[in-house]
Amino acid sequence: MPAFDYNFQKLEPIKSFKAVPEAEQYLPGHRTCAGCGPALNYRLVAKAAGKDTIFIGPTGCMYVANASYLCTPYAVSWIHAQITNAGAVASGIEAAFKIAARKGRHTGPFPNIIVMAGDGGSVDIGLQAMSGMMYRNHKVLFICYDNESYANTGIQTSPTTPYGAATTFTPPGKEIPEGKTLFPKNVPQLVIGGHPAVKYVATTTIAHPLDLMNKVRKALSKPGPTFLHILCPCPKGWLFDEKLTPDMAKLAVETGMWSNYEWEDGVYKYTNVPKKYLPVGDYMKPQGRFAHLKPEHIAKMQAFVDEKIKQVQRPIPVAAAVPVKKLA
Amino acid sequence: MMTGCRAAAEGAKSAEVEVICSFPIRPYTAIMMELAKMVANGELNAEFIHGEGEHAQLSVVLGASAAGARAYTGSSGVGVTYAMEIYSPMAGGRYPAQMSIADRTLDPPGDFGSEHTDAMSTRDQGWLLGWACSPQEVYDNTLMSYRIGEDHRVMLPQMVCQDGYFISHIPDKVTLGETSQVKEFLPPYRPISPLSLTNPVSHGPQIRPDQGAPMDAMRAQTFLAIPKVIEEATADFARIFGRKYDPFVEQYRLADADIAFFIMGAHSNTARAAVDKLRKEGVKAGMARLRWVRPWPTHQLAEALGHVKAVGVVETSTSYGGAMRGGNLIHELRASLYDLDDRPLVTSFMGGLGGETIWPADFDYMAGVLSKMVKEKRTDRYVYWLGM
Amino acid sequence: MSKEDNMAKALPGYGTIDVPKDRVVPFGAVTPAPVGTQKLFQTSNWRVVRPVKDEEKCTRCLQCYLACPDACWVYKEEDDTLEWVGDFCKGCQVCIAQCTVDGALVAAPELDFEGGVVRLEKPF
Repeated sequence: MPAFDYNFQKLEPIKSFKAVPEAEQYLPGHRTCAGCGPALNYRLVAKAAGKDTIFIGPTGCMYVANASYLCTPYAVSWIHAQITNAGAVASGIEAAFKIAARKGRHTGPFPNIIVMAGDGGSVDIGLQAMSGMMYRNHKVLFICYDNESYANTGIQTSPTTPYGAATTFTPPGKEIPEGKTLFPKNVPQLVIGGHPAVKYVATTTIAHPLDLMNKVRKALSKPGPTFLHILCPCPKGWLFDEKLTPDMAKLAVETGMWSNYEWEDGVYKYTNVPKKYLPVGDYMKPQGRFAHLKPEHIAKMQAFVDEKIKQVQRPIPVAAAVPVKKLA
Repeated sequence: MMTGCRAAAEGAKSAEVEVICSFPIRPYTAIMMELAKMVANGELNAEFIHGEGEHAQLSVVLGASAAGARAYTGSSGVGVTYAMEIYSPMAGGRYPAQMSIADRTLDPPGDFGSEHTDAMSTRDQGWLLGWACSPQEVYDNTLMSYRIGEDHRVMLPQMVCQDGYFISHIPDKVTLGETSQVKEFLPPYRPISPLSLTNPVSHGPQIRPDQGAPMDAMRAQTFLAIPKVIEEATADFARIFGRKYDPFVEQYRLADADIAFFIMGAHSNTARAAVDKLRKEGVKAGMARLRWVRPWPTHQLAEALGHVKAVGVVETSTSYGGAMRGGNLIHELRASLYDLDDRPLVTSFMGGLGGETIWPADFDYMAGVLSKMVKEKRTDRYVYWLGM
Repeated sequence: MSKEDNMAKALPGYGTIDVPKDRVVPFGAVTPAPVGTQKLFQTSNWRVVRPVKDEEKCTRCLQCYLACPDACWVYKEEDDTLEWVGDFCKGCQVCIAQCTVDGALVAAPELDFEGGVVRLEKPF
């Protein structure tokens, strides 16, 4: 196909808190829980993206608790997708704007097309559509806001729910004392490992607002598909005091449960790496979902985290800009 | 001469579809192969997206339609049912994309043969659902369905169905429309509230339970308005292209018929020949061919078939455990005729299943059963399985 | 009039469907995007405490502003003002927990305020 200038947006990095755009695109007036991590994430993402944006919202908390009773908090255009198909709906929207631009029907900036999917809508039931979109080189930012469960249906386990967490599908009991027995999927590596069109993947948390917003802006400034994995603590699902939502995310980074990094053109760059990691128990203790665990379970979690930390500390040699499949 | 698949692709090209989403499954695949060539050769300016499955195909065209593009996809057999989740959101969201179906038997086990059960299983999802009986009609229905579906009184997705192989892969004479004719008949797609940067909208927020009933009622209201739009489009099509269709039911030698076959799709071509043969033999036979399953033409069928003494529904789909223990069409035909004072006797014949041919001799057999019903003035059985 | 026409006329029709005006749902469930705030969803009646800022202690570190899920802190760079807008504050106290200066932001019981929000007249 002949080269065509689609007028993709270039978004400048935000230098300081004071320089954050004042305009809100994810407006107050939604029934997310008090202290909702995913809602804060939505607000920061939308602020960073700005008004020339279209959101695709697959079913999940950020659909059910936001887009209620025919009123929504989105100041920009937004469309509901099924929990299964956000990547595919986004692909269709992107294609429609491309052909409209080629035919001269759409002028002005190419929209920032952003999928805001939960962990289930990203790497469980939504995995196929997400992967298809990433593979096909659509200019879409796919965000996995990870609250580590199917939360709006009443906190059921998802593939990102940590080992040992109690959910309504993994209740601890006499036979299964630790509740959840499986370890979570590695979300960013799923994307990095198998999608040669993807040139930018990053992780961050709602406790690092500037980092989050700048990763959004960087992702949106790439000409192809990009992916962000964002940790969004959930007071109701993780059972902690709702005022501690950002603190939970900070603790996750400080204990090594979570790492903030960028993967750009094949090169990893870690940020917020603690000088000395706190024991993982410090993260688990304030959370009711781990309250039933015995010391041996916490030790098992610590061993899992220790392995993860090794990967962070080990410099990852990347010579070529083409992603290489990594074995777990 | 061209196949039904080629005719569908030519229809899509004439309609200047803008976003196409493919996934391979026989036999409809040939439509996408044709379109892929047209896009690759620069004959058609469109985004051609390789979906990762039928569920994705429909999701892609939903998104494209929401963003203001004329979108096109298609499938066959289990591909049609794999996409099941997305039919209702497309109809409820009023996204008038088109899906071209070359019918294929559902598994198990794999069977390439044609059967209508695939598309028929979507009939309660709120789409327009029409069947063609020739490659020419496939081309024509592609244009007519876009025109009807994109009409602001309608705004609904459309399924353009043809029998796999019998139509999709057997070449027949097809006259394509001139660009000027297509332009006159089919205006550009005008979305009502597309996703946009300048006029931001929210598509599909949740509703309260008490908003569900009015939502359903408004969709039902639309279906009351559609027949008029179909009549207008069919008449306009005849005026512009010179090909005349009965909007809802093709009536073949029906005016003075005693017995009639009620049928849709490819096997109607055999049925027409069988009627001619029966007429020569002194049997007053006729045929009614259904063009639209949704909206179902209740009154038109009562008008067309009310005076007939016995009707044999030729089913090419299954409804296991249904009221008549056979196919789908007999239920709705019997319901359509129920309120007539002097209604015909109605039975059904299971034929063309799994891709089997319905032979001229089968129609002779069916005519025999129907004539016996007329003579005895009673329906002995709800359903006969041809050859069984 | 043909025989068939007579028969068809005798058939029942579909009636009309009149959706009452106050129950009409937007076509295709498409609604205009809200402007400024989603006024239909005031959540101020969720809270039992509200954050109170000590203007002298506040350093404008803006941690509260970028930690609020409900955009209840409005910062204007031009005049360096930071204001709490209470219509949507659910009282989660995330802002207070994130405040970097001791005593600059404290939780005060809602009922201590004249006109303190306890319940909206029309709850959802």
